[in-house]
Amino acid sequence: MTAVTQQIVLAVCSFALALFGTLLLSALSLVVARSGSCSRSFRYETEARALTLLKGWLSPKQRACYERFRYFDVTGSDTGTRYRIHHGTQTNIEELSSTGHHVCKWCFVPDGELVAGDVMLAQKIALETNERGALGVAHRSFVSSGPRRF
Amino acid sequence: MATQIVMDRTGDTRHTFDIHDRAEVEKAERRFRDLTGAGFTAAVRSGPGEQRVIRSFDPTAEETLFYPRLVGG
Repeated sequence: MTAVTQQIVLAVCSFALALFGTLLLSALSLVVARSGSCSRSFRYETEARALTLLKGWLSPKQRACYERFRYFDVTGSDTGTRYRIHHGTQTNIEELSSTGHHVCKWCFVPDGELVAGDVMLAQKIALETNERGALGVAHRSFVSSGPRRF
Repeated sequence: MATQIVMDRTGDTRHTFDIHDRAEVEKAERRFRDLTGAGFTAAVRSGPGEQRVIRSFDPTAEETLFYPRLVGG
């Protein structure tokens, strides 16, 4: 084989290798993108399903309030205290005074990685049926909040 | 038909059973015992926006909701 032929073979092989690498990278990027998209879609469906469940268990007044303000109020089963459950999964319960002012925040959640709708529904049922039990496991926070970001 | 709704990472999983089918009711009762034994709370609706927690299986409940044990967040 002449030196020229060897150079041609080498060039063709390099080109083929580069092409293969590029195709492989493209395929990999596509798989990663699709997987992220599926994950987002799954998350969206999960959240939507949990919110539908939540709304089915809210009273008409609570549902109307939630749809307008993204929070609803519940009354504690043991003390009659009013709590405001904001949309969220952490430190999203606000205790209100009899005049409707902020007293403190409470945080308790059902174990496991549940989405907001499920967390809020469990919090509502717990406060309305077993307030003391729920607050017994909860963390209390007296940090005053500025603009709310739940 | 009655439904047991179990909260989980997918939002919830639903188990429907025929309250007139003895085998299905027994299976639902076993599920109730397993879940509550694992720390889940079972609740049924008692009115619009109202609910009560149940400690024993109620085959007549149209819908029973189970949520996991509560922990401090």
